Amino acid sequence: MADTQIPLEVRNIKKRFGDTEVLKGLSLKANKGDVITLIGASGSGKSTFLRCMNLLEQPDEGDLIVHGEEIRFKQTRHGREPADWKQVVSMRAKLSMVFQSFNLWAHMTLLENIIEAPVHVLGKPKKEAVEQARALLERVGLTARADAYPAQMSGGQQQRGAIARALAMDPEVMLFDEPTSALDPELVGDVLKVMRDLAEEGRTMVVVTHEMGFARDVSSQVVYLHQGVIEEAGAPQDVLVHPSSPRLQQFLAPKY
Amino acid sequence: MDQLNQWLAGLLEGNVIFTPQTLGYYWTGLVTTSQLVFLSLIIGLVLAVPLAIGRSSRHRWVSLPIYVYTYVFRGTPLLIQLYIIYYGVVFVEGIQDSMFWPILKEAFYPALIAFTLNTAAYTTEIFRGAIKATPRGEIEAARAYGMSQSLTMRRIVLPSAFRRALPAYGNEVIFMLHASAIASVVTLMDLTGAARFVYARFYAPFEAFIFVAAIYLCLTFAILYLFRYLEKRLLAHLKPLGGN
Repeated sequence: MADTQIPLEVRNIKKRFGDTEVLKGLSLKANKGDVITLIGASGSGKSTFLRCMNLLEQPDEGDLIVHGEEIRFKQTRHGREPADWKQVVSMRAKLSMVFQSFNLWAHMTLLENIIEAPVHVLGKPKKEAVEQARALLERVGLTARADAYPAQMSGGQQQRGAIARALAMDPEVMLFDEPTSALDPELVGDVLKVMRDLAEEGRTMVVVTHEMGFARDVSSQVVYLHQGVIEEAGAPQDVLVHPSSPRLQQFLAPKY
Repeated sequence: MDQLNQWLAGLLEGNVIFTPQTLGYYWTGLVTTSQLVFLSLIIGLVLAVPLAIGRSSRHRWVSLPIYVYTYVFRGTPLLIQLYIIYYGVVFVEGIQDSMFWPILKEAFYPALIAFTLNTAAYTTEIFRGAIKATPRGEIEAARAYGMSQSLTMRRIVLPSAFRRALPAYGNEVIFMLHASAIASVVTLMDLTGAARFVYARFYAPFEAFIFVAAIYLCLTFAILYLFRYLEKRLLAHLKPLGGN
């Protein structure tokens, strides 16, 4: 019997692009309130792993269980595909994603961006969605920018807006794909602060990041990926402060 | 300068050309041209949206026939298409006994069909380009937020593609207005047809054709103005604040 208390669990995820196997059987379990950070060098597969969790990439093997519901797959000529796209759509509505390049919808104002999926995917009444959106904008400090278009905002504002958009879905789990990597250094702090607040209020989050400070202070579990394998995982104190693998020691060592 | 004044004075004084009767021809021509262009653009636009979606499809058996259609209609002169439809329709077996004949024997409808198919082909390709240029990240975000393919198309891809296609589509509208001048070769009394009639009647090429050119210019100006307004409203999201 599946455990409905676990928001997200993936088992033995494998993924290959052509002849290269990028994920070699990865498993991860996010309990309620967990903040799991995925770290690793470029090309270690951490972003691909995250994208497999909401099936933006199709894993070639492995199971995906969201809130106790296992996603069904079928084999086709083109490889493995979800058997029921409706199931995938409702699963995705429970996991909202924040992207490295924000990916706000450029032809909509920030407010329209935030209410889009709640209204058209969850079927929320528009008035209610707008009220919620305004509250979220206040939370991320963007009340004044509700009617601005993405192109009129700074990167940091766009990313905080994108976080508000993710929150508007009332997600079970939030997936962050290098949310600060495309930002100027002085804008990173605002975004990290919002994420820190979310962690403190008990949101379940899976975060791919290069921000070691965030990983150390905020996460409940740190997972270090190397060439598609989980090389080391555990509490941040163990993994980041006393790494046992030589590769992780090298990864964490000051570069200059 | 004197010569010009004299010419103008002569034009207005001994005005035998622009009588109420010939102005009536021009008016009829203006109405025909407007109907022809407006109807073909509207129907062409309605056809082009699903065609452009199909043209962007990954399935070859959907996209290939549409590609053949747009290739043929963009690869041959509009005049030839008009000839084929106008002269060819009579030879279709049994068409003269069918219920469509009262419509098809008029020159207007074959011309409308030719223009519609032609503009639909161009518009399809304009939209296809705009659909293809949708930022990947925006589509990915739509998928990540649980939007189905059709919802993504309706809410994200098409609204953003239409806006992107607006300047190119404005050109297509003007192109269509000017291309409609060839309707006169199949006996239609459009603007150009009226001008040709006036020219033939009075043997006054400059008066007849410069006058009609001025009417085309006015129509073009109105179209340009409309699209400038639409772009200002619908493309606001691409402009940084404070820019112009």
